[in-house]
Amino acid sequence: MDSTIEINAVLAKRLKNQDATAMDYLYDNYSASLFGIISRIVNHREMAEDTLVEVFMKIWNQIDQYDQEKGTLFTWMYKIARNQAIDKTRSKDYKTSQKSNDIDNYVDMFEDNSTDKTDYIGLTEAIAILGEECKKFIQLNFFMGYSHAEISKKEDMALGSLKTKIRRCLKNLKVGLNKDFGY
Amino acid sequence: MDTREIIEGGYLEALLTGDLDDSTKQEIEERLAVDIELRSAYYTIEKKIELLAFRYSIEPNTQVKQRLMENPTIMNAHLPDDNPQVSSFSWLSIAASIVTVGSMILSIYFWNQWQDSNQEITTLLAEKTILANNFKQTNQQLDDVRSDIAVLVNPAFSRLILKGTDNAPNVEAVIYWNKEQEAVLINSASLSKLNENQQYQLWALLDGKPIDAGVFDAQSGKFQSMKNIASADAFAVTIEPIGGSKAPTLSTMQVYVSTS
Repeated sequence: MDSTIEINAVLAKRLKNQDATAMDYLYDNYSASLFGIISRIVNHREMAEDTLVEVFMKIWNQIDQYDQEKGTLFTWMYKIARNQAIDKTRSKDYKTSQKSNDIDNYVDMFEDNSTDKTDYIGLTEAIAILGEECKKFIQLNFFMGYSHAEISKKEDMALGSLKTKIRRCLKNLKVGLNKDFGY
Repeated sequence: MDTREIIEGGYLEALLTGDLDDSTKQEIEERLAVDIELRSAYYTIEKKIELLAFRYSIEPNTQVKQRLMENPTIMNAHLPDDNPQVSSFSWLSIAASIVTVGSMILSIYFWNQWQDSNQEITTLLAEKTILANNFKQTNQQLDDVRSDIAVLVNPAFSRLILKGTDNAPNVEAVIYWNKEQEAVLINSASLSKLNENQQYQLWALLDGKPIDAGVFDAQSGKFQSMKNIASADAFAVTIEPIGGSKAPTLSTMQVYVSTS
């Protein structure tokens, strides 16, 4: 499991040295995945793009706080993107620009079967066999920025049960991390 | 919390989404730093989310990158050489390309290694489960043997050999009977296997009347515990439909012994 951490370490070190080429690389490789997360929280194209710039500025300015002992570089960036996007939805500008942005507007992102993106062997199939409830919880919690508290209130489910439910859902997502992942 | 509780309680997923209060978060993070099993479980979760994020990524507008890279803090960080020359610039790009290609190769290499060790962990865990099951099974067998020996060495048990009737002249069965405790154990010995819808039934005969002592299957070398019998003049075994009959089918009597 040292693999990605090593790569992260190299990249993080270059960023820590304020190496703009590392930033360039980082943007090319991660902007779309982070933008996917931001866009599902901030339902406003321009504001989502503003958020993306803010996120990369934070990554640039706070890279010293990244501790590889605590997780992968992606997770660290993911958390920044998620929090920044959630903050954005609480801003005045956003509230006045938006009609509403609640759980009821949930659209199943897994329905996106566009073929232009890399599909890791087995991922689509793994998602297909997840139950509807699991698909929904994974999206709400990991991709749409809803907290356990918000989901549990909406779904009328105890916090503790929701926590273990989400764990089981993710566990049941049997992506071939072992055998058929990419490359 | 122990490792299992943290994993099974969904705390690692909650750590990723910031769904933990500060003290729990700190506790989990401290444990992650020292617990390999937790680290590996967390890593798997991180990778799944990363995978999904990449699969369902959304391309931002191309101008966004320009906006970012033109931000003064980043622009100024890209310090040009003291005497910017074409050669030094291409050197930089060559170096950058080498680093990029190098890190790609490294990432493939390390990724493969990670996959291998993950596979290894899975195999080891599976082996561990098999070993644990074997151990449990062996323990159960040992317990069985112990209780069998306890019967054999207990003087309160009398041993009765049931001899074959004309229906089965060469067959025998053995009963261990503890009158005091009314316990009856049977070893089917050389009774042959019956077809699916038949079972052997043991009868105790007292004053000429048959008392049902339970049904059993042919399992040579194993004590099967039968119904309690306090007194009997004789024991007999018949073949009955599965589940047993209320009265013995005498024509099928296989073995018999008198207790007197």
